[in-house]
Amino acid sequence: MGTPVIRLMVPSRLEYRDLAIRMVASACKLVPGSRGKFSIEVISAFGEALNNVVLHGYAPRTGDIEIEVELGDDRLTIRLMDYGKSLDLAAVPTPDLESLPESGLGVFIMRSFMDDVSYHAGAPNVLSMTKYFQPKTRENA
Amino acid sequence: MRFSRTDSSDQTVLRIEGVLDALTAPEVRPTIEALVAEQRRTIVVDVSSLRLIDSSGVGVIVSLAKRCRPFGGVVRVSGLKDQPLAIFKLLRLDRVFGS
Repeated sequence: MGTPVIRLMVPSRLEYRDLAIRMVASACKLVPGSRGKFSIEVISAFGEALNNVVLHGYAPRTGDIEIEVELGDDRLTIRLMDYGKSLDLAAVPTPDLESLPESGLGVFIMRSFMDDVSYHAGAPNVLSMTKYFQPKTRENA
Repeated sequence: MRFSRTDSSDQTVLRIEGVLDALTAPEVRPTIEALVAEQRRTIVVDVSSLRLIDSSGVGVIVSLAKRCRPFGGVVRVSGLKDQPLAIFKLLRLDRVFGS
């Protein structure tokens, strides 16, 4: 049997945020031995990624967002695919937390809570985020 | 998301329950505007029943705190736990808001 992949397609509207997060949360429960921290960090990162696509990728129009959650032997990978405006992820600066920013925190949350975050602009744009079940696994990868 | 405002003397408790995110944060904005306009001196944001927060939700609370500073208003966040606590710790806000 291959690596399990769970898929969901939602319209790029914030009203579908809860539904998409519930899917990712359910997938996290399938991770062997996962505790709350793993799920909390994945859900937080995913929510920000979804916001970015809805608010910056597609708005003011709407489109489809395809979400894939892949459960590997030692890692969980989430992919968001969309046909909206591309994001220059590398150009997003790290926020100055001491200045108490009110915005621009989404990508920082994604990068902080996930082990790998990558982005390929195109049709579709593909944002890929991976979190290893054990931090040690990443060091040895 | 549900929220309520309770005033007693100089203090206001703003209790937010459920999910404070990009979808729901705009619902709280008018109350934030009112608190600032009234120059409430002490505001406690009770998030003990908040299940999920995102950067938009954080932005609302940070905005409130920054806008209260010029007139000496203080914003404190109480009841942080689980996912909201993880976000506040990551953004180093748990210390700023005295939780």
